[in-house]
Amino acid sequence: MQELVAIASLGSVYLLFALGLSTAWGTIGILNFAHGAIFVSAAYGCYELLEVRQLPVPVLAVVAILIGATMSLLMQVLVFDQVRRRATSERAAETRILIGGIGVAMLPIALASHQTKNLAFGLSASGFEASIWTVGGVRVSSIQVATVVCAAGAAAALAWYLRRTRAGLALRSLGVDDQVAALMGIDRRRYAWATMAVAGGLAGLAGVLLTLNLGAISAESGDALLIKAFACVVLGGVGSTVGVVVGCFTLAASEVWVLTQTSGMWVEAVSFGIIFAVLLLRPQGIFGRQEVRRV
Amino acid sequence: MSAFYASNLVLVQATLVAILLALSIQVPLRLGVFSLAGVGSYGIGAYVSANLVLREEMGALPTMLVSGLVAAAVGLLLGVIIYRLAGLYLAMATIAFDLTVGVVALNGGDWTGGPVGLFGVFTNLTMGLLFGTVVLVLVLVHLTEVGRLSRRITTVREDPELAASMGVNVRAYRLTAFVVSGFLGGLAGCLNTLTRSAVGLQDVSFHLVVVALTTIIVGGALSWRGAVIGAVLFTWLPSVLEVVGEWQEFVYGLIVVLAAIFLPTGLYGLWCSVRRWLVDRMRPRPRPRPGSEPRPEAPSAAAAAEQEVAAR
Amino acid sequence: MSVVVLAGCGSAGPAASGPQGGDGLPDTVRLMVSVPLTGPAAFAGTEAEKGYELAVEEINETGFLGEGVTLEIDVKDTQASVQKAASDFTAAVSDPEVSAVLGSLSSGEAVAQSPIAENQKMPTVYIQAGSPGVVLGDYTYRFPTPMSAYYDVLSQYVEEQGWDSVGVVYAPWIPTLKDVGEVALPAMAEELGMEVTASVATQQTTQDFTAPIEQVLATDPDVVSIIQAGPANATAMQQLRQAGYDGPVLGNSSAGAGTLAPAGAAGAGMVWPVDFAPGADDPASQEFVELYREANDGEDPYPYAAEAYDAVWFVARALKEADSAGREEVKDAMATIAAQPWTGALGTDREFEDNNLVVGGVAIEWDGSQENVLYSAER
Repeated sequence: MQELVAIASLGSVYLLFALGLSTAWGTIGILNFAHGAIFVSAAYGCYELLEVRQLPVPVLAVVAILIGATMSLLMQVLVFDQVRRRATSERAAETRILIGGIGVAMLPIALASHQTKNLAFGLSASGFEASIWTVGGVRVSSIQVATVVCAAGAAAALAWYLRRTRAGLALRSLGVDDQVAALMGIDRRRYAWATMAVAGGLAGLAGVLLTLNLGAISAESGDALLIKAFACVVLGGVGSTVGVVVGCFTLAASEVWVLTQTSGMWVEAVSFGIIFAVLLLRPQGIFGRQEVRRV
Repeated sequence: MSAFYASNLVLVQATLVAILLALSIQVPLRLGVFSLAGVGSYGIGAYVSANLVLREEMGALPTMLVSGLVAAAVGLLLGVIIYRLAGLYLAMATIAFDLTVGVVALNGGDWTGGPVGLFGVFTNLTMGLLFGTVVLVLVLVHLTEVGRLSRRITTVREDPELAASMGVNVRAYRLTAFVVSGFLGGLAGCLNTLTRSAVGLQDVSFHLVVVALTTIIVGGALSWRGAVIGAVLFTWLPSVLEVVGEWQEFVYGLIVVLAAIFLPTGLYGLWCSVRRWLVDRMRPRPRPRPGSEPRPEAPSAAAAAEQEVAAR
Repeated sequence: MSVVVLAGCGSAGPAASGPQGGDGLPDTVRLMVSVPLTGPAAFAGTEAEKGYELAVEEINETGFLGEGVTLEIDVKDTQASVQKAASDFTAAVSDPEVSAVLGSLSSGEAVAQSPIAENQKMPTVYIQAGSPGVVLGDYTYRFPTPMSAYYDVLSQYVEEQGWDSVGVVYAPWIPTLKDVGEVALPAMAEELGMEVTASVATQQTTQDFTAPIEQVLATDPDVVSIIQAGPANATAMQQLRQAGYDGPVLGNSSAGAGTLAPAGAAGAGMVWPVDFAPGADDPASQEFVELYREANDGEDPYPYAAEAYDAVWFVARALKEADSAGREEVKDAMATIAAQPWTGALGTDREFEDNNLVVGGVAIEWDGSQENVLYSAER
């Protein structure tokens, strides 16, 4: 039972982080390597803010969402749009966006590591203390509940938006074939901006929730999550919201299982093994409908 | 023996290794295979060579060959399994492969030395052999960038369907890309171990993927000259950036971003267009079609790059 | 002719052999300091740098090396890059002015520097770098021994508490911590007749410790040991408390330097060994603490500063002993110095063992806001 709580909270963190990554990749074709940097920057921004004044956790969450959304939007406008405009072909653009993301990620991370000297930082200055409830012998902390609720809410809202609204339909059509979508009069840039802002906001929220949950992170904490999120996205199928949810919880469950059944040395290999196996057996992921470009 | 050379010997060696590592990513890219498996091969080569020297007391040349071949064999196996994938999916799968090599290195017990790695790997490798190897590799790569083979490779990259209809065995070309990438990566890893005399987890880290990619994107992805330019630049940059001190990571990131945006064909592509512009300015005369006059000194890959630039 | 030995264009040629040995010290003696000032170990590096500077200042002001002789250090940032660390080291070897090197405190970098040191006959003194492969021969020294050598300073504390079993969550991807988690801690437990109920390894990408902690607590140990680095220390403490464990925790020295501060009250009760603590009662250590406070606006030194301070003094004493700036002479003098008892920031009358300075260790407890000294090792 206690393992289920661990799986739920771990999977929810992965989910908050991976949702934006997956949506951007599946709709506007941007695999953003700076997603982890946004996550860390939002948490770091809140940490700096707390040095100046005391704020309650809900306000911090809003601040983090704003920081994340702003950073992500800036990246889109200043870097990814520029890359796409100058690239010679779609494939070249893909490679360069990946590289651009790697480069852009270095900037805020360099800033944060410099300021913190790479030491751990946390949000304990907010005075937040997680309360622990014991339900039938199983311990649950308030921050775990909050993480699960936020993740579930974000996933549900995103799924509804993509499925049930005209804008969502337009966005999905970009993912299927952006040239046809452009002919239908869908303004790709506008949608790209909106998508990136939402993705960044989610990463920012994940940053604050995870920092509260863990107590401390450091400037380097984003990288580890990025790889895990890739695994979740690939597993569930790029662009499928349901798929990402399943992917995140599957990965969390397998990691917790490996950790509790073995000495823990091979936990790392789980996520890579999953990426590999899925790409091999079902390249579109479990729920992916999008046809993977084959040769 | 010049003092400069002696005091910067490590950087000279590192540059040569970086060239090979960059090529292990660049060769598949030129064939339209976005594979980053070269970094995993680098790790395989690094650890295999350490074991060959420490356990078998093998000499430098056989160690280099065996390490390269082992990594090439793994590359072939990987290629057979995932050659159907393309684009970002392929990149992701190969990154997973790279990281798996890292996990194996950490948990390999006596074979890899775990978190400490292996040290004391001394062989009879000379700078002459090191230089010779890299020059030989560059010559071989250069041969794929000129003449008919170069045109085939470009077609396989730009239009696989067309290539197939012309009777080019696209699958064989792609598999070859995996094998060559594996060999070059393995060789690079091996030489790194032999020059450093030690191997550790830093030789199998994700950071190497970043380094190799940025090297060829900034240098230029379509010619070995780009790989050389990038390798020299990024190997020597840290010492130059020492003046920037605490902000070097920031500057490094900025360089990568700017290159990704403004140099679609890398520094080498930029050089080609500048040279071409100069030539056009120097010798103003009517030309029937730009780029049609035979220019033997410009290899076709560069010409393709120039046309890409010109086309925009 | 190996490439590790400097080969000039394929032909054998010995590298610059450093300053001329022989009669007396030159007016300026130069040392190269290789230290990570950026990257993950930046904090340790910047603290160490203060120790290096302090020792040099003191040596020059007191005229320790003789009339008109100044010691100069050339600080090079390794930038958290093994390659840069090796490259700077080679540059120092081929610089005829450099008499000795103060090597990197980061294990990976030190392992890359040591083969060059031994091959090129460059006397090198490391601090921290607790991995095997750092001290290789006559030219390499380390201040102090790795943590696993003085981890058993906690024995006294464990015995007082009367625990019979321990559960461990450790990070095997860091050489020093792997050593503590797999060797030193089990050895101490065996010595005290304790049972290790569970030993769970976590990986570099593990950020959430809920599952490993559950696994350890499921085996119902009397005490939990958390052997982690960086923010993971704070995280594991917080989650350990949330999981209902509220007793003391056996940790390791990377929980120091305020690493536990983000965990707030949850961090209180972690106990770990250090090689040096400003609050320890050793007279020589206290002397250093006074000196350091004077130079740094009253702040307390971290272990890195104490180690660095001693490393410079070690070289200085060797220089004086050798009465020469030549590398061979310095190396020989180092062996002489190391054969005698050592008194410095790390303690009074310490011994060397295989070129490592042996320290007794100090047990430290974190009370939620600061580090307190529990006791120092019996001498």
